[in-house]
Amino acid sequence: MHKNHRTLLAAYALAVATTGTGGPAAAFELGIIAFQMSAETHARVANSAATAAKAKGWTVTLLNSEGALPKHAEQFDALIAKKVDAIVVAMGKPVEADAQFKAAKDKGIAVITVMSGTSPHTLFDIQVNEYKVGAEAALYLLGVLGYQGNIITQRFDGNVGTRIRGKVLDIVLAENTAVKELAKHSMARTQSWRDDVRGGMQALILKHRGQFQGIWASFDGQAFVIDDLLKAQGMKKGQIPLVSIDGGPETYRRIADPESTLTATVAIPFEPMGKAVVDAIETIVVKKQPKTAVTQGPYLYMDAILVDASNVKDFAK
Amino acid sequence: MRTALERYGTALAGLALALFFVAAAPNFASGTNLLNVLKETSFLAILSLGFTLALITAELDLSVAEVASLAAVVTGALVHAGQPALLGIGAGLAVGLGAGVLNGVAVTVLKVPSLIATLGTAAIAKGLAFMITGGVAFVGRWPSSFTGLARDTILGVPNVVVWMVAIASAAVFLVKSTRPGAHMTATGEADEAARLAGIATARMKRIGLALSGLLAGITAVLLAASLSSAAPNMAGDYFLYAIAAVLLGMTMFEPGRANVPGTLVAALTLKVLGNGLVLMGADYYVQDIVLGVIIIVSVALSATALKQAAFKL
Repeated sequence: MHKNHRTLLAAYALAVATTGTGGPAAAFELGIIAFQMSAETHARVANSAATAAKAKGWTVTLLNSEGALPKHAEQFDALIAKKVDAIVVAMGKPVEADAQFKAAKDKGIAVITVMSGTSPHTLFDIQVNEYKVGAEAALYLLGVLGYQGNIITQRFDGNVGTRIRGKVLDIVLAENTAVKELAKHSMARTQSWRDDVRGGMQALILKHRGQFQGIWASFDGQAFVIDDLLKAQGMKKGQIPLVSIDGGPETYRRIADPESTLTATVAIPFEPMGKAVVDAIETIVVKKQPKTAVTQGPYLYMDAILVDASNVKDFAK
Repeated sequence: MRTALERYGTALAGLALALFFVAAAPNFASGTNLLNVLKETSFLAILSLGFTLALITAELDLSVAEVASLAAVVTGALVHAGQPALLGIGAGLAVGLGAGVLNGVAVTVLKVPSLIATLGTAAIAKGLAFMITGGVAFVGRWPSSFTGLARDTILGVPNVVVWMVAIASAAVFLVKSTRPGAHMTATGEADEAARLAGIATARMKRIGLALSGLLAGITAVLLAASLSSAAPNMAGDYFLYAIAAVLLGMTMFEPGRANVPGTLVAALTLKVLGNGLVLMGADYYVQDIVLGVIIIVSVALSATALKQAAFKL
């Protein structure tokens, strides 16, 4: 064989060998599809579910749809062909991939989604209520401002959760007209979003310096960038309340840090949701208990908790 | 013997890979799975064939994926609004063709290198797709007169596979059996010599890029029909895979040259690889690593033409 093709064949072999798979099949196979692993929240749910499943001795196939609907559908097809025992979908698209979800159900494969919305082809969806989460963050910020003043907002309309949060903020602002949205920046780029947020918010903060009393960000990652911008301008905690949503160790560290301007977040239990979905599959698929043993309706709601200086020590452990 | 191995070695390696998965990956060889692989190959293959036709004239089209996303969104918007399916299909194809023509004019009239011109078109297409959708996908139970384009079957074969075979056949016919095809090839191999020989090289490049755009439009319509939805980043994931398919295709049949059969077999190989890895339980990042390895090895082996296209700034 020509040496070039030996090289290519060797590359294939090396690539396949690096999968580290091919061992004896475990008793229970779980497929996990995260819609966009580059989004930290998706990854937190999926990784938590994978860890919980492996702890039970299950075989796990963890897939990333990379935010692409065709790939989402393809991965479903492949897991169905693989005849996994159950599928977990983190922040998936059950409506768009309806045919694949139906095919899984028709093959008797249990599907439970996390923060994806419900489908007639899934058992249920585990989620926090994004509308409630958005309302909590918005009302907290208005409360800190005494329901008057100007705010700047950092939005992201490319994700369903952050888009809902922004729309709920709009409703809250429409009913509380003494608080005005002085300016907003909508994040356009998804790969280099930190740079996008930094550039946009830096311009708005400079332009409106002294004219705004609070900042709202659609997720914590954006708030970190804004916090750094405000700190660089000598702002201290409480001067310009900064509120966002998601939660996580870095968020709690900043809320507890007197040098940080990050005031509060609504903490979404991503890791507990990942664990809960695996527990639910164990109950329903492995132990053969009815779905009602886990939840009655189409949702299994989990609590999102507002975290600020008063309770951050309970989270920052 | 050596020549035969040069021409068919990569294809044989792909075949060996498929046989490996037949033996090692549970359910890989099931009829349903193989049909799924073929179906999934179709979208990538059609998009990659467009890239191939542009590259045959020594021009890169890095806008194929974003143009496909925009065309899908335009088609989806019309179908979602209850407009006739034919109007949605026509609009999607027009968007693809329009973007290809725009690329052709930018490259041949404005003299912008295709690497830059098509990146610019990609950015415009992405912006327009988000402007139309506001980031929210068009989703619904669309009429079967539209979804049937991709979802129906002919004698058990999914329509998208039939589309792929028809388009690939047409592309082979164009390149190998027509005067414009010969002129496109001559333009790509020796631009100046072809021009001196009386070939309208600029027109050939415009044809290559326009066909690339048109095939992006066709891919978009089929994707939207298959998924009954259209999102602004719908085909973004195909960008790297389309490049990989063309590069890998250049290592077989006509080594060192973009060619239709090579692209087709390469697209199938990539999809076989992805499917087989999932069936073997490989985690998602392994697929990215494997794709990267294949791109580097393919380019190192024989993508001379692509290197020339990329660096003639």
